Amino acid sequence: MRQRLIRPAAIGTEAMRVRVRLFATYREIAGEGALPWNLPDGARLRQLVDALLGTYPRLAAHADTMLLAVNLNYASPDVVLHDGDEVAVMPPVSGGRT
Amino acid sequence: MIAIQRSRIDVASVVDGVRRDDAGAVVVFLGSVRADAGVRALEYEVYVPMAEKAFAALVEGAKSKFEVLEMSIVHRVGRVPVGEDSVVIACSAAHRGAAFAACSWAMDEVKRIVPIWKTESERGPDRPWPRRRLGTRKKD
Repeated sequence: MRQRLIRPAAIGTEAMRVRVRLFATYREIAGEGALPWNLPDGARLRQLVDALLGTYPRLAAHADTMLLAVNLNYASPDVVLHDGDEVAVMPPVSGGRT
Repeated sequence: MIAIQRSRIDVASVVDGVRRDDAGAVVVFLGSVRADAGVRALEYEVYVPMAEKAFAALVEGAKSKFEVLEMSIVHRVGRVPVGEDSVVIACSAAHRGAAFAACSWAMDEVKRIVPIWKTESERGPDRPWPRRRLGTRKKD
């Protein structure tokens, strides 16, 4: 009986990739409106936001007011991300007086 | 009808899009760029696929909450000069009460949840150095 000697390559910790979209002031801070971002499997949205704040410290001033969406729906920081997700990080929408 | 477009909004065609023989009322709201001091235009940035999805949900919401028959929402993206419309909402209903209420509700929701941002893209001679201000204006 032959044993399989070659095993599949070990899956690294950076196992999934999401697409980050940034808008308005945040896009200007990052200098890009769309960024690919690698994350460990099972990562939550909060981890991605923390990583973004680490990479773009000027975003930190907006941390309390940013709106988050995953695949075109508003999402809480607790949501678990999946490979291929589109994550939007957005300033408050413009609003206005009635 | 839902649209996000760079070109001017043809209000008559938006209104015609909601007309029905069983509609006794058509209400249309135009959101226009106002000439605040020195402002010549506003620049609108839109997360288009999410905004389209949100507009579609608002149309369905208007139908279920207010007995609206049809609703159309058209929004501009990019530069909109003073005096032009940046958003048009039209809705039809059997009676005017539902049409007025639904149009007002939908516009409030557009301002509250739809991912659209505006900047004063140009200023006049009273403030010659353009300063981009995003998400800070309290007025339309």
